[in-house]
Amino acid sequence: MTFYKEMLKGIWKENPIFRLVLGMCPTLAVTTSVENSLGMGLAATFVLVCSNIVISSLRNLIPAKVRIPCFIVVIATFVTIVDLLMNAFAHELHKSLGLFIPLIVVNCIILGRAEAYASKHPVVRSIADGIGMGIGFTLGLMVLGTCREILGAGTITVWGNLKWTIAGLEPMVLMILAPGGFIALGVLLGLMNHIQAVSAHRRGQTFTPPAHLDCRHCVMCGKWGE
Amino acid sequence: MKDTLRLIVVLTLICLLAGLMLAWVNKFTAEPIKQAELAEKMNALREVLPEYDNAPNSDTCVIESDGKEWIFYVARKGGSFVGAAFETVSSEGYGGDITIMVGVTADESLCAIDVLKAKETPGLGAKIDAPEFKEQFSGKGIEATTWAVTKDQGDIHAVTAATISSRAVVTAVSQGLDVLKKNLDTISKAGS
Repeated sequence: MTFYKEMLKGIWKENPIFRLVLGMCPTLAVTTSVENSLGMGLAATFVLVCSNIVISSLRNLIPAKVRIPCFIVVIATFVTIVDLLMNAFAHELHKSLGLFIPLIVVNCIILGRAEAYASKHPVVRSIADGIGMGIGFTLGLMVLGTCREILGAGTITVWGNLKWTIAGLEPMVLMILAPGGFIALGVLLGLMNHIQAVSAHRRGQTFTPPAHLDCRHCVMCGKWGE
Repeated sequence: MKDTLRLIVVLTLICLLAGLMLAWVNKFTAEPIKQAELAEKMNALREVLPEYDNAPNSDTCVIESDGKEWIFYVARKGGSFVGAAFETVSSEGYGGDITIMVGVTADESLCAIDVLKAKETPGLGAKIDAPEFKEQFSGKGIEATTWAVTKDQGDIHAVTAATISSRAVVTAVSQGLDVLKKNLDTISKAGS
């Protein structure tokens, strides 16, 4: 039971993108298409699960003073493995994700989970946490990627040739450029708060968004937050 | 002292293990990576060259011009020269270098071009990789064409709202063509 609970928490309640707001660099940079989002999400999930397993099984061996260098070495090793595997077996995807694969090393989600979770919890729970956070990250990226690709390019590219063009839609190039990333992310963060505020209100509770995401000064959520 | 020693030992061990693991993964991915890169090059060559039956990636001719090395991939069919391809790089793009593969036929007209590497703005400059832009190069005579975009009184229609990227492509293509023109004899006879 706890396994699923640990997993589900990463998908909704502590979603790394929409709730923890971690790993914003890849989030904004690669979500120009669904395909890139999916590739980045899966690569990060693989690294997250592997590093969580290793770090949580070594948690009693690693002295506190050198824990960060140890975590970074473990994470960097798995990132390099992903980089090599992707270059060998998914060459096209590797070309389009390019620079962002090595940057998974400094993705705050992975180091964050190592420090905040895996180094303090047993292996099985850490796996659940890794899977959940990974899926949450992937889904978050895909939601953003879908919005941006539909609005910005008028297409949905799931993988390679699995691609649809939406007829009669004039693409807004802005949406696949950097500002579009910020706009889409902002709107989605607001929407998330709104949904949670409404559902809390229905249950007769009050919803307090995390301090860094508190947008209740705006009319949309303010009504529900009070 | 004992604590310090422990720090050193643990970190060293972890790094050592990481290194061993990477060496192992590298060992069995090295070959597929090489093959994927080769396949990529062969695909590009097949796309820009007329039909051939030799192996242009090994049938090359290196020419030095203005201190820069140009590698020409020679295509033959039944032993006779049918065309050549070369890679050309432009640093005048909007987002770093643009690498283009250009193929030329034996009758001195352009066969096709293909964009190998470009980091132009998605939706704007990235359209230099779209067929509408690339196809207009096909069949253009090397001599008969003014290699510039229409804005600069040339014969190539630039991608809408991406004149800089288009200009970079055209300049890079024409630089390569200049070298090819001067050395066509050497290239067509190379190796044979």
